[in-house]
Amino acid sequence: MKTTAKELQTKELTISMGPQHPATHGVLRLVLDLDGETVVKCTPYVGYLHRGVEKLSENRTYTSALPLMDRLDYISSMANDIGYCVALERLFGIEVPKRAKYIRTIMAEMTRISSHIIWLGTHALDIGAMTVFLYSFREREWLLDLFEMTCGARLTVSYPRIGGVRTDVNSEFLESLYKFTEEFPKRIEEYETLIDQNRIWLQRTKGIGVISVEDAINWGLTGPTLRGSGIDYDVRKHKPYDAYDEVEFEVPVGKNGDVYDRYRCRMEELRQSNHIIRQCIEGMPECTVLADNALELDMPAEGPKKLEADMSLEHAFILLSEDREMVLPEGEIYSAVEVPKGELGFYIISDGSGRPYRMRVRAPSFVHVSVLPKLCEGHLVADTIANIGTIDVVLGECDR
Amino acid sequence: MTIREFAKKIFLVEILKGMALTLKYMFTHPITRQYPEEKRDPFPGFRGRHAFVRNPETGKEKCVACLRCATVCPSQCIYIDYREQGDGSRVLEKYEIEALRCVYCGYCVEVCPVCALVLTEFYEYCDYSRSRIYFDRERLLKNWDEFTSKLETDTYFNKFWRPDGIDMKKMPVGKRFQSPVPINPKTS
Repeated sequence: MKTTAKELQTKELTISMGPQHPATHGVLRLVLDLDGETVVKCTPYVGYLHRGVEKLSENRTYTSALPLMDRLDYISSMANDIGYCVALERLFGIEVPKRAKYIRTIMAEMTRISSHIIWLGTHALDIGAMTVFLYSFREREWLLDLFEMTCGARLTVSYPRIGGVRTDVNSEFLESLYKFTEEFPKRIEEYETLIDQNRIWLQRTKGIGVISVEDAINWGLTGPTLRGSGIDYDVRKHKPYDAYDEVEFEVPVGKNGDVYDRYRCRMEELRQSNHIIRQCIEGMPECTVLADNALELDMPAEGPKKLEADMSLEHAFILLSEDREMVLPEGEIYSAVEVPKGELGFYIISDGSGRPYRMRVRAPSFVHVSVLPKLCEGHLVADTIANIGTIDVVLGECDR
Repeated sequence: MTIREFAKKIFLVEILKGMALTLKYMFTHPITRQYPEEKRDPFPGFRGRHAFVRNPETGKEKCVACLRCATVCPSQCIYIDYREQGDGSRVLEKYEIEALRCVYCGYCVEVCPVCALVLTEFYEYCDYSRSRIYFDRERLLKNWDEFTSKLETDTYFNKFWRPDGIDMKKMPVGKRFQSPVPINPKTS
């Protein structure tokens, strides 16, 4: 056998998968070393979508930097905005009105549903089931219409404000959404009819991309990717923000940590999100939606400067640094929220001016991409596609 | 393996169930829209093309050159020049919006104290030339005329001029008392 291999001159082949490959969900590039059909080595290259969001926000006021957060994970922009606002509210001690909290919770869960169904559709499409993709986009359209009704945009919403939300929701929105929550469980069953027991789907997903409990923790995975391995960790439950401590929901966990279990986890999350939205609509309080001490849109970037022309340059510097009035309190914070992909964290340092001194985004997709070599090495090339799908990366968030 | 499982396996039960579902949808109405022929009406408040509200009394724009929109703009795509008159009031000399850089967040509409600027519900304005998507003062007024000529109502009010659920005391007077703008196609 060995001589045959030698005669045929078999050797390892290095191929570059992406950045224009349709199954990489954006611009992810994987360099794969192949031995026949088996992946020997897998190296992800990221950064094709780097826009420098962290640096850009240092030159903008806190409120003006919010539209940048829409563009982190562009299919669940509402959840990113909420994460950013929650971090700043914790840092500056802004108490959000109760109605705004409920609206935000509804919006975050709508985003979770729309993100998970776009994931389901594209993941199934990658593996070879096309019909689910068509059906899942039907429900997504409904949710995007509701976003448009409220905030005037479908994807880049810029809807939350630091200290509340931008505008109140109307009764038409709530009625349409309530109708959606009544319809949606039937639609989930439809997706499940198509793929849940389908033998091709099972063969492509069961036992593929297994992550053990220890590995999942050590690699820093979060969200459904972690819960698929059987670890019960959800920021919504363990460090509640907005109205999550006032609603009832369960955190679905998997068992085997393979692609199929993560799929089951996300499907259950769809049902739980639906349940949360219903509770929020039923218990929606009536009050204003913006806190009194919320940051104004046209907030000052710096405090009033005292600079006199006849003084020396040195003196001017002293005046600038010492007499500068604070716009906001100083401090630093790490605050995390549960976005559809996992734990999205913001680490913000405030130096008292209206701009962040430093902002760091802990993006779940970036962490999840790093686990790809572990999942892919030793398996077939075809499973690489399933693995990219199952960790649910959005490269806008990964590269920031 | 029980007989039931075996039967399920050889008769492709789960595949047939899926096929039945797709077959059912063959006899329902399509939910897709044939876009260029079949247009979709955006919801009120959709953030589309920029326009200057034409003041029905003076026939000009309402802008007072306070520079708030230019300050708050996250992509910094609004350029304003003005001169001051003797009494301290400002006269607008240049107002330009570089729409290709705009991110359509609508902050300019929300901070404007006199409700002079609006992101209209008009969304089909792609062009082959950059200069035609670079809106200056006249062009912004023209956008308003184009937008209002297609409106079927007599008045227009953008929901971001005075967002719902926000305490009125936080708003400047010009916003608090802003009534829907009357549209009179003859003056335009």
